[in-house]
Amino acid sequence: MSASVVITGAGTVGPAGSGFDALRSAVREGRQQLSPVDRSAGFHCSGRAALAGVLGEDPYSPWLSMRDARRMSPASRMAVTSARMAIEAAQLGEGDLSGEGTAICLGTSFGSTNYASALLQQVHDQGPLSISPLLFMETVANAHAGQVALALGATGSNVTISQREASGLLAVARGADLIRAGRAERVLAGSVDEVSPILHAMLDRFGALARPSQDEDVEVARVFDSERAGFVISEGGTTFVLEAEEQAAMRAAPILARVTACARATDPSASAADWGHGHEELARRLVTRLERQGIGLDSIDLVVSGANGSRRGDALEARVLRAGFGSMLPPVLAPKSVTGEYGGGFLASALLSLEPVDWAATPGFRREDPELGLSPYLGEELGAARRVLVTTLAAGGAACWLVMERCDAR
Amino acid sequence: MERVVVTGLGAVSPHGLGVSSLWDGLTGCRAAIRDLDLFDASLHRTRLAGQLESSVADASGRFPTGSRRLTRTDRFALEATREALRHAGLERSPELGEAGVYFGTSTGGMLEGERVYSDVVNQSIGPETRLRFLQLAGQPLGAPAEAIARFFDLHGPVETSGAACAASTMALETALSSLRSGEVELALAGGSDGLCGLTYGGFNSLRAVSPERTRPFRKDREGLSLGEGAGVLVLETEAHAHRRGATILAELAGAGTSCDAHHMTAPHPEGAGARLAMKRALADAGLEAEDIDFVNAHGTGTPHNDAAEWCALSSVFGERAGALPLTSTKGAVGHLLGACGALEAVATILCLQAGVVHPTPGHGEPDPECPVDLVIDSPRAIAPCRAAISVNLAFGGANAAVVLRHPEAGAGS
Repeated sequence: MSASVVITGAGTVGPAGSGFDALRSAVREGRQQLSPVDRSAGFHCSGRAALAGVLGEDPYSPWLSMRDARRMSPASRMAVTSARMAIEAAQLGEGDLSGEGTAICLGTSFGSTNYASALLQQVHDQGPLSISPLLFMETVANAHAGQVALALGATGSNVTISQREASGLLAVARGADLIRAGRAERVLAGSVDEVSPILHAMLDRFGALARPSQDEDVEVARVFDSERAGFVISEGGTTFVLEAEEQAAMRAAPILARVTACARATDPSASAADWGHGHEELARRLVTRLERQGIGLDSIDLVVSGANGSRRGDALEARVLRAGFGSMLPPVLAPKSVTGEYGGGFLASALLSLEPVDWAATPGFRREDPELGLSPYLGEELGAARRVLVTTLAAGGAACWLVMERCDAR
Repeated sequence: MERVVVTGLGAVSPHGLGVSSLWDGLTGCRAAIRDLDLFDASLHRTRLAGQLESSVADASGRFPTGSRRLTRTDRFALEATREALRHAGLERSPELGEAGVYFGTSTGGMLEGERVYSDVVNQSIGPETRLRFLQLAGQPLGAPAEAIARFFDLHGPVETSGAACAASTMALETALSSLRSGEVELALAGGSDGLCGLTYGGFNSLRAVSPERTRPFRKDREGLSLGEGAGVLVLETEAHAHRRGATILAELAGAGTSCDAHHMTAPHPEGAGARLAMKRALADAGLEAEDIDFVNAHGTGTPHNDAAEWCALSSVFGERAGALPLTSTKGAVGHLLGACGALEAVATILCLQAGVVHPTPGHGEPDPECPVDLVIDSPRAIAPCRAAISVNLAFGGANAAVVLRHPEAGAGS
């Protein structure tokens, strides 16, 4: 039997602020922290999305010195900051993470798009010889994982996974696999992404983002709502410390959750930029793959859904859940209505779902879509969830589901 | 632990489409590194790259619905996948549906992104720009793996490694892990990368590129040559391969990964991370250093990389390090970044099958500081030719190594 994997520490930085307390407040209040995106570069179309969840002032203090921050992209700063928070929460010292026993496993959907666009601008304005080595180095997708390893002296496996919206969940799943397979003693696993004007504009041009409507002058991600029309992007980073449960118990570590099982699949009916329609096939694989790991969906108390307000994505998610759970569908939390898409807020929310937090009713949700037949959490009494299913279906077809549970759940 | 075997190979390389083109080029000791015309490189230190000829690159877009939206990197990935599936006898097999896709890439659709950027900032938006906007859907690194799942109707997991120059070697490790754990019985593992201006300029800004064709492990080497292409391996559990009567080409016996945690772009000077990755790969394969018969090195041809790699090899192989036949596929096709590990694994398997080590093109004296037994000029027959290690080192300090075995070498073990 392979090792049971637990989360012993977690750190998060995002638009709501630094740390889990800030995120707890945001989900209690149903508050999405959005700010205007710079649209001056000319990439945006007029009259469309203008907001995103971006970090506030001084989000890295006291975790990252100005000196170190200068040689990192925003995403790398978020990764190192959330990693250090997680290490402290796990009651470990940074020295405990140095050496070959520690692996880093980070997901990123887009990498450092701020630095990539700065490089493109350099080339355009000053020619190709002007390319800054620092900017170039940080545009490489694994720069964030590399910076975390460098900060900690972690010489174990250094993994970067990039699969659009599924990147973070896949990274945690893969991190747990590394421990189960005996390939790492500890894994810092998580997700990081940054908002840039060019990324915002690109997603807006694809029609992916929520836009101002006739009755509202700001964009709102209406997850599962009949009038949903897109998502809101956010930046941030979330890192978990993963360990074998036996090792965590030996050092009397705080155990925040157990990573019990994982299922991964693909919907090949998805187009390159959108979600597909293969809900029956996805549901079948969700059920069978979890059953192979001894998990029946009837043991799930709560679904933490990765639905984000996109028209087709939410429809696919609802249909997969209905096909998988049938009439036994438990309450469905939709944290991206608060955290936005990307940036690790969703991962952090999944961990919060195992705490007795009074979540606000899903912000932005007004009316059920009769075609979906599913309403997200509306503020009813939730009770204490012992075992949750965390879901992510990504544009382009990737799917990942994680079962997490409280450690008193067995 | 169940053995994982290779039953199909696919390649798109600067030598052309297909594994046979690659093998002809490698054994002919030809460097497919020539003047670049994909974008303007006139201001750079070099204008050379392992670029696919335009006619070949265009022909690699022979896919139906939605193919206009595919990026160059996607097309290379699909072409290599189709060849690998045909080779494995799986192209239209119902068994294919549950296969996982484990892929690596470094640039994704950056070339198309650059062109859109240029059109927008120059306000020269035309019909071509609209097509390029559609191709931006392929900009994220996950796009080639998703395109493979979409075009071949695969429902298993997709997972893309973004570990720069070690990306596709890491993808092989992930596939190996997923096959051993029973999550999948069949996997497509590989990598794909197309050349683009940013990467070309970035490596120039680091002064990592050679003004001449790359000359790995030579005394006066001056850097790497960039390249493009894709490599794909069909992997399956041995039981699955036997059940369907597949021909086993090789065994993916082990994999190991590590991080230098030393510098973001420079390798650890003593090759500490590379050493750990190789030792882990050997341990994972259940082999000792003396079981390895040749090395396919990362061998970029930069002064620092080759020196660090020699240190790592010396540490792993001891006195044998200087007598172990060694080749660098990059000497022939350039550095394919996220695709290099997969293409080099393909090349390594071809060597194992033929009982020869392909030569490393390039002139110049051997480097006495890196006294490897570099195979040059022509293929070298070796006996026995049972097992090889293929190594890749990346920015961010990421390292990965795989151990590949002749199918008969490990049978019954």
